[in-house]
Amino acid sequence: MDFSLTEDQAMFKESAINFSLKTLNTGTKEREEKGEFSRESWDKCAEFGIQGLPMPEEYGGLGRDILTCIAAMEGLGFGCRDSGLLFSINSHIWTCESPILKFGTDAQKQRYLPPLVSGSWVGGHAMTEPDAGSDAFSMTCRAEKKGDRYFINGTKMFISNAPIADVLLVFAVTDATKGFAGFSTFIVEKGFPGISVGKPLEMMGLRTCPLGEVILDNCEVPEENRLGKEGAGSAIFNSEMEWERSCLFATHVGAMARDLEECISYAKLRNQFGRPIGKNQSISNKIAEMKVRLELSQLALYKVAWLKATGKRAPIESAVSKLFISESYVANCLEALQIHGAYGYSKEMDFERNLRDSIAGKIYSGTSEIQKNIISSFLGL
Amino acid sequence: MHIHGTLEKLLLSEIATDSGKESLDPDEDLLEHGMLDSMAIMKLIVRLEETFSMTIQDEEIIPENFQSLNSMVRFIEDKTKKQ
Repeated sequence: MDFSLTEDQAMFKESAINFSLKTLNTGTKEREEKGEFSRESWDKCAEFGIQGLPMPEEYGGLGRDILTCIAAMEGLGFGCRDSGLLFSINSHIWTCESPILKFGTDAQKQRYLPPLVSGSWVGGHAMTEPDAGSDAFSMTCRAEKKGDRYFINGTKMFISNAPIADVLLVFAVTDATKGFAGFSTFIVEKGFPGISVGKPLEMMGLRTCPLGEVILDNCEVPEENRLGKEGAGSAIFNSEMEWERSCLFATHVGAMARDLEECISYAKLRNQFGRPIGKNQSISNKIAEMKVRLELSQLALYKVAWLKATGKRAPIESAVSKLFISESYVANCLEALQIHGAYGYSKEMDFERNLRDSIAGKIYSGTSEIQKNIISSFLGL
Repeated sequence: MHIHGTLEKLLLSEIATDSGKESLDPDEDLLEHGMLDSMAIMKLIVRLEETFSMTIQDEEIIPENFQSLNSMVRFIEDKTKKQ
């Protein structure tokens, strides 16, 4: 097992770091305070090829392998301080583009992938409902078939990218008697009759990623916009969650590496009681623990990427990786803030924002508690 | 017969452990009766791939292939023949 990056992967990661440092960090703090999404940064990422990283060249993508994608995402996480933007891009790739690529018909791929890959369209998926969060399959959103159309009725909540999305993958019940297998997925364009989006929701962190409510009121969707067969919704959802849990958290690993570098530098420069604070074990031990969490997070991430690259399923491994990285990121953000003391707590530096952003990782893509349920269930409990 | 028996045992001993049953009606609708939920199907897919040395595509995880013991047996037979 060799998890080291090839020369090409390492160079691509480095170029992602340089690109994001140079291009994506202007005005981040101000945008975050206002809860503003940066379309300009989105477009620059698209020019660099981020939105099409794992997509085939025939749809305008870079056609990169999964390990290269993860390395690039790690690089972006290291260089870009706009976590909301990165979350937005990851949602777009793993919960919209990837399922269309995997489950879509040729016509669906031809219509939707080129604008999504080029970044001219923004995508997302709509699963969560006001009363169906962790218990996602208890959804009440219904899709009824009449002739060659489906009519969808229901409300979706906390939908990433919804206020700016051109297309959403909407999950709805098509056969209530079939339990989890009675769900189907629909590609819904923002211009379809009956879909509307509420105003952006105010959240604690990731404030530059627009989140909203989606209302489907007799939303009319042509049959050819059903993704996969009827009843394939749960397979599509599980597949996209496994990919998201495997890849999205690469940006967290990158951010953890940046925070660690900043803490080491600060611990060497900041003098108290006549010596650098890093000479105190209470500080140096915190930094050592941050390094351990980073190292193990990276290993978990690369192991999942390696499994996915070989075409294997990774339900336990992706849950372990998602759980460990998201929890480690929060722990490291807390330590980074503590090491920087009042400066860390102030809004002048990024540490308080990083902490607010990091907490979201314990909730989206399945809460930490749900990851533990998945792991224990696979262990026969 | 071999697939049927192995699958029934796997379902009752590892997947639908709360069913309290000792055998399954081959045509019983496992989805309607709630014996297979979203977590159970993830585990079942992994175990089927291991047990029958096969690869199941995500797009094959649809009700018609997993509705009953008989539909699963047909699905596995078709897959293993093709492989």
